[in-house]
Amino acid sequence: MALPPIRPLDDLTIARIAAGEVVERPSSVVKELIENSLDAGATDVRVEVQAGGRRLIRVADDGTGIPADQVSLAFQKHATSKIRSSADLERVATLGFRGEALASIASVCHVTLVTRARDEPTGTRIRIDNGQVLAREPVGAAVGTVITAENLFNAVPARLKFLRNEATEAGHIHDVVVRYALAYPERRFLLVGNGRPLFQSPGTGELEDTLIAAFGIDVARQMLTIQVDPPPAPRIAADADDDEAVARVRVRGYVGPPHVHRATRRHVTLFVNGRWVHDTHLGYAVAQAYHTLIPKGRHPVAVVMIEVPPAAVDVNVHPAKTEVRFRDGRPVFAAVQRAVRAAVVGQAPVAPMADDDAPPPSWPARGAGRLALFPGFKAPPPPRGISPWPTAEASTAAPAEAEAGRQATFLDRAGRRLPVLRVIGQLAQMYVLAEGPEGLYLVDQHAAHERVMYERFMARRAPLASQPLLVPEPVALDRLQLGAVEEHAGAFADLGFDVEPFGPDAVVVRALPEVLVPTSDVAALVRTVIDATAEGGAPVHDSFEARLVRAVCKQATVKAGQTLTLEEMRSLVRDLEDCQSPRTCPHGRPTMIVLTADRLFREFGRG
Amino acid sequence: MRVTCRQEDLSRSLSTVNRAVATRSPLPILSNILLRAAGDRLELSATNLEIGIACWLAADVSGEGAVTVPARLLSDFVNSLPPGEVVLEMTGKGQTLDVSSDRFRADIRGIDAADFPAFMPDTDQATSFTLPPENLREIISQVTIAAATDESRPVLTGVLTVLDPDAGHVTMAAADGFRLSVREAPLETPLDGRLSVVIPARTLLELARVCGDETQPVQAAITAGRNQIVFRLSHLDLVSLLIDGNFPDYERIVPQTHTTRAVINTRALFQAARVASFFARDAANVVRLSLDPGDEMRPGTVTVSAQAAEVGGNETEVEAAIDGDVMEIAFNAKYLLDVLGVISADQVALELSTPSSPGVFKPVAETPFTHVIMPMHIAR
Repeated sequence: MALPPIRPLDDLTIARIAAGEVVERPSSVVKELIENSLDAGATDVRVEVQAGGRRLIRVADDGTGIPADQVSLAFQKHATSKIRSSADLERVATLGFRGEALASIASVCHVTLVTRARDEPTGTRIRIDNGQVLAREPVGAAVGTVITAENLFNAVPARLKFLRNEATEAGHIHDVVVRYALAYPERRFLLVGNGRPLFQSPGTGELEDTLIAAFGIDVARQMLTIQVDPPPAPRIAADADDDEAVARVRVRGYVGPPHVHRATRRHVTLFVNGRWVHDTHLGYAVAQAYHTLIPKGRHPVAVVMIEVPPAAVDVNVHPAKTEVRFRDGRPVFAAVQRAVRAAVVGQAPVAPMADDDAPPPSWPARGAGRLALFPGFKAPPPPRGISPWPTAEASTAAPAEAEAGRQATFLDRAGRRLPVLRVIGQLAQMYVLAEGPEGLYLVDQHAAHERVMYERFMARRAPLASQPLLVPEPVALDRLQLGAVEEHAGAFADLGFDVEPFGPDAVVVRALPEVLVPTSDVAALVRTVIDATAEGGAPVHDSFEARLVRAVCKQATVKAGQTLTLEEMRSLVRDLEDCQSPRTCPHGRPTMIVLTADRLFREFGRG
Repeated sequence: MRVTCRQEDLSRSLSTVNRAVATRSPLPILSNILLRAAGDRLELSATNLEIGIACWLAADVSGEGAVTVPARLLSDFVNSLPPGEVVLEMTGKGQTLDVSSDRFRADIRGIDAADFPAFMPDTDQATSFTLPPENLREIISQVTIAAATDESRPVLTGVLTVLDPDAGHVTMAAADGFRLSVREAPLETPLDGRLSVVIPARTLLELARVCGDETQPVQAAITAGRNQIVFRLSHLDLVSLLIDGNFPDYERIVPQTHTTRAVINTRALFQAARVASFFARDAANVVRLSLDPGDEMRPGTVTVSAQAAEVGGNETEVEAAIDGDVMEIAFNAKYLLDVLGVISADQVALELSTPSSPGVFKPVAETPFTHVIMPMHIAR
């Protein structure tokens, strides 16, 4: 059988093939059109969809509009106003630049475009059906652009087949609009679905409704703001260049508290220079910030906007532009991780403490991040004299201000990340019951003790004493366990283990960390500890030492099922209050839950 | 059944047997106490199937019989009665025990005594020996401090008891992996050959509790099956399961030589260690002992210290007669306090070789007690 001859494809086919990459589903059309509107400087973007975007998508904006003489060009492929030459690709500051979106969209549906440029008296209407220009006429129109895409994919049955049901597609569109509303708080967005308004953002920087639309009311209320200028994190690497690079990365956004977590990664939304991207690496940076705070295999909820100099990022990776490449990813990674960590860990009331108007902070999500949430992106500037250590400035402050400063200093140092809890008793030899400002707190004694031990160990506050055994004990290990001991001999020794290889399939244990005493089954203990250091489903790689510390803490911890005296319980709760992250154990399980007074009130039918 | 006894006697006996009552057993009858009236005494028994106690008191029995009633209810009621005569009577209405005293009356529903497990073993074929009553409590406290408290290796929660007729003594030893206690007691009864068993430390502690004012030698009988031991006192029998398993060879752990020997006042060293332990709480329980033999002009001293980086530190000097080299060694505060707390002799001898080899504590007395502690190693 003879093969058909090779022939160039016609333009429409080429456009449809390209469209396959850009326009995957109705929400991709919405995304491209919103980006165009934003690039046109629109302050008001209205999105209307019908039947999940399949029947109709209309995006209307009040942007600059398209001059009449350029309207036809807009639909040609690789035609754009956003860049002029390949050199411009190096510093793309607009969301679009490829000149493909409109051409692609026009090739797979029926498009009507009505536009008027600001300095022109009349507008233009152009209608294109699956790539064919049907009509072009002058028309009266408001400044801006209205694009209507109808009957999406009607001429591309293959694509049509892959669309999900209307509700799912509508959900994706909703997601796109809400995410962009979060990223552009100063622009107004409106989404109308089948004639009903579904979402609206005020465009004033107020994000309350947008957050609720994005996350649901329960989660939105608890979202924490990433401080625009996070407190400098402890320097990990003494690399000045690196730090400088980190400083040029700006991170803002919203992150969920540690007790809000989801089964999939898709609840982490990332924007780079205002562009919604999918970046596994940055996703890891966010996840890592929650490390030890949320359970393994679970993922946080976050919207993180990252700004880097345009030259530092390559956005020309994929036609859909949802992937980016950084010239140097490390500082970006570090900046994201630090900023998110600071927001998550720094839930303690710090800056707003002296703010008399602020409502009393309430647990569980409280503190600077939360209080600064609804006023918008700007965290209230810290009042003068609030620094924990008196500065020259503070000492010259007015007496009242100095007084406020002292108060804040005192509270600050108390560093309460938890409310003051009054221990009531113990439940089932597993939970410490305590009364706090919100109601009844149940503290998991094992998880709480684990957290306390873990932080002490990591801070090296306790000297690492080692308790040798009366008789060295040989312990048979499998290859994997043996490998861990050999590879990380230093880490074991640092923590107080004295373990040496002993023949081909065993070690001899001479000493254990003091915290593991008393224990009588050394072999079982050592095996358990080694196994617990195995890299599990942790979302990110962390050091072997940290894993070993967690394993040791777990073993050394007050077991559930142990009766505690009142004094022991008080001391446990006090120690927990001193922790950096008191609400979860190092494995991410919660250390406490609260049964609020309101809830009790309701449960007893008093409401 | 009808029996009259004194409230004081009944109350005391109930508190003795209560120790063997099962607290959370799926078998309801194990939460009961068996009362049996026979001859001129009332016998009370309880068991949790690990240990069992049968205890008796003088009583005026006008009708023999037996019943079991809930331990807690009976004890609480009896403890609240005024001193004087108490009448316990079964009136025939099923398994109900009437208890009356003065103007108090109660009827307590019970369970048939026939359902109560017969826990006292047959001791006909048993191997018997006696333990001296006067220092039994001391022996038990000295040896049980070294027994393991966690259950991960059951044999270490027990006390190895070796009956050695040739040497003429019983040797008891316990070890938890970090310390070891060995105590000998004279074996007065002749036996055929050596015999060793592992007795739960908990059982011995119970025995120490109930043998308070005992003046007669305590009879111990190991059943023919070697799985139970019965201690017979003048007013009670205590039976316990033995622990099955191989006890580690402790003898090679006890150091045979030393380079430094300090003889110290036990009280003074205990006090110094106790004060240091407050600081050691925040320093991984490390208490340091510095032994300085002194010279002609200066007596030897042991300096006991603890340093906690965040809290502070302390240092106490204790005079000592030291023979040997200067030595610095660190022990777990708890271990130090445990051993010093069970030595009643005025002086204690501490024998050391190196900072990393086991330290040996012995009372300076006739008492054949040796305690070995593995020192701690501190990363500096």
